[in-house]
Amino acid sequence: MIQLEHVHKRYGTKLAVEDLNLTIAPGELFAFLGPNGAGKTTTIKLLCGLLFPTAGRVMIGGYDMRTQGDLARPLLSYVPDLPYLYEKLTGREFLRFIAEMYGIPDATARERISQVIESFSLEAFVDDLTERYSHGMRQRTVFASALVHNPKVLIVDEPTVGLDPYSVRKLKDELRRLANAGTTVFLSSHSLDVVEELADRVAIINHGKLIGCGTIDELRNKARVDGSLEDLFLTLTLPQPEDQLAPTSEGLRP
Amino acid sequence: MNTTVDQAQLFRRLRWHLLVNTITELRGGSMVRPLTIVLSSLLVWAFVFAVSYSGLRFMIEEAKIPPDEGIVGLIIGLMFFTLGVALTFSTGLILNGSLFSGPETAFLLAQPLTADRVFAYKFQTAVAFSSWAFLLLGGPVLIAYGIVASAPWWFYAMMPFYFLGFLLVPSSIGGVVALLLVNFIPNQRRTFLAVLVLFGLALGAWWIWGLITEGRRAGQPEEAAAAILNRFSFARSLWLPTAWVTKGLQSAGRGHLGDALFQLTLVWSNGLMLYLLVTWMSTFLYRRGYNRCATGGDLRRKHGGVWIDNILLACLCFVHPSTRQLILKDFRTFRRDPQQWGQVLLFTILLLAYFTNLKRLFIRGLEWPFQNWLSFLNLLAVSLLLCTYTGRFIYPLLSLEGRKFWILGLLPLERDRILWGKFGFSTVGGLLVAVPMVLWSDVMLAMPWEAIVLHALAVFAMTTGLSGLSVGLGACMPNFKETDPSKIAVGFGGTVNLVIGLFYLILVLLFVVGPYHGMMTLVATSDQSPTPFFWLIVALGVALGLLTAIIAVVWPLRDGIRSLRRMEF
Repeated sequence: MIQLEHVHKRYGTKLAVEDLNLTIAPGELFAFLGPNGAGKTTTIKLLCGLLFPTAGRVMIGGYDMRTQGDLARPLLSYVPDLPYLYEKLTGREFLRFIAEMYGIPDATARERISQVIESFSLEAFVDDLTERYSHGMRQRTVFASALVHNPKVLIVDEPTVGLDPYSVRKLKDELRRLANAGTTVFLSSHSLDVVEELADRVAIINHGKLIGCGTIDELRNKARVDGSLEDLFLTLTLPQPEDQLAPTSEGLRP
Repeated sequence: MNTTVDQAQLFRRLRWHLLVNTITELRGGSMVRPLTIVLSSLLVWAFVFAVSYSGLRFMIEEAKIPPDEGIVGLIIGLMFFTLGVALTFSTGLILNGSLFSGPETAFLLAQPLTADRVFAYKFQTAVAFSSWAFLLLGGPVLIAYGIVASAPWWFYAMMPFYFLGFLLVPSSIGGVVALLLVNFIPNQRRTFLAVLVLFGLALGAWWIWGLITEGRRAGQPEEAAAAILNRFSFARSLWLPTAWVTKGLQSAGRGHLGDALFQLTLVWSNGLMLYLLVTWMSTFLYRRGYNRCATGGDLRRKHGGVWIDNILLACLCFVHPSTRQLILKDFRTFRRDPQQWGQVLLFTILLLAYFTNLKRLFIRGLEWPFQNWLSFLNLLAVSLLLCTYTGRFIYPLLSLEGRKFWILGLLPLERDRILWGKFGFSTVGGLLVAVPMVLWSDVMLAMPWEAIVLHALAVFAMTTGLSGLSVGLGACMPNFKETDPSKIAVGFGGTVNLVIGLFYLILVLLFVVGPYHGMMTLVATSDQSPTPFFWLIVALGVALGLLTAIIAVVWPLRDGIRSLRRMEF
């Protein structure tokens, strides 16, 4: 469902993403980790078609994001780390706007909107202007809007920031349910406990290069690290002597 | 792509919801702000109408110049030409800011929307923002023309259509330039701006040179007037849309419906063609441009200019350290945004070039009364520049703190200091630009020392007063949700500030230098020396002007400080 082929992305003289190769299957919950400035957000923007690769190809649902972006975008939903809402719309009006944008028929839209309002417990504030929402309320509303059209691919950047424990629990359940139902979830997060609990596979990126990709057990074995995902992450991303770990385009070479 | 979605209707509905909710919010809140805006707009409208009506009436009824004569058309043509150039720049700059950055743009571009639809939505918003001053100024001039020329009723009915059709032309050109810039020279946009400034400067200098030399070559005043008018005739070139608008409106004024409709069709067909061109270009250049703009430069750019900051800090050594740091912060923000100061720089250089050439080109042929009023007009030009500077850059300063206001709010300093810092930044910056300009103009015109002192006093009063107004009103009517300073400046509060600033400017000029220039003309024409009574009136005027300046500083700043103290974040 998601395919990145030898993707490079350059900002001026700085290479933000270098020879990135990923293939993510339908229904997979894929976590994308990396330290600050590693290239996660750039990769996410490449997946959404906001940026184009300097070299290589990004495919969503078999469509090339550069040349067939208009066909690929209806398949995906993107929840950024800083959610955007129109301040002078109510939450319900915003959901309605999104439903119309995806061409959902009226009756279905009403039904779907009611469902997502219930799923993300928006009832108490959904008819208020979004300018009055707290960060958590905004985040939940944007999540709800991302799911209104049943996307084939869901890309989420730092989804748990600003959410209370109850909302985090509901969000995790929802992400798992979506993946089980066939939606490909691409999750970028610094909350390693969430990733450890949810992810089918994990990729770790550092300095623009993929330094590991696989299930958490596979990564542990390759890096010869026992312990939590946090230990594994720190081992892989802390500066290492060159002879211990050599990143390749396929993943980690122990 | 879901082809069943009518994306244009989707955006229309979005705008409708946003409008209805905004009006509902306004109705629920205090009516003081919207009423102030409406009243201020009406005042500007009435002022422009009165000036235009009396001017046109004098020309048509007193000077017996028929309304369909070239000179009247020239005035309308020049108005549209000037507003059109301003609109091209402002739309281009707003589009440059809003098309390629901002959370809404990223949100829309990640949705299943075609690039041209997103572009059209952003374009229409930019045009609405940059053009309502155009309507506010152009409307009363044309209504005055219609009344004086006894135009038929359908002249007034056609006016909005001429305006709308014409708006498409400069706005689309601004859009084309913005698209081309980010796609082909995303890293050299600053260089391009600098080249544009130099080009504008050269063009302006060449035009002014021609204007003055032609005026001087002519023997009789009538010939000089004809030569000067001829210099302005470019605004009526058949290739310019301004000529079609002018010709069409004059035909409508005369009751020639056929020609008026023909010119209107010409304006609309060209406007729509340019709009189609820019939206067509956006289908393949918009997303590409967004990508180029976002990734064209290095991720981490080193910012220099430390020496300028050090000079500023040294100049402000007498100010409280925390206020000094606040001024430095505002200065850094300002100097790192050439889009903001490029326009003021252009006008400043043009004015300086004009002042420099005054002596060589004008002075030998000028008698004292003209020299006297020319120096007044130069002071007026500098004052308008100051008013633009404070309205465009100083008024939005507090609003731009936006959601980061908590940083300032939590600082261990009195909130009053934040406003005093901005006031200091504005006053020092304004004085550094305006005082040398006015002094230079007066030296070039060989004005007497008392005129130079009065002009310097007027500039001081204007800079402090306009700074006080912009900083104070900016704190009273902040717009923390908007991140684009140009939108804050042309928004509700920004317009109120601009209008009050213009009235203040007129008052200061009337009080501080009005009596001097007026009475010097009388003295010169009656061949008498200035009497002690004359100087008493001048002194009284200065005192009144300075009192007005004190009020303009104290009143808004006091209210602004109160508002800032109450502000929650």
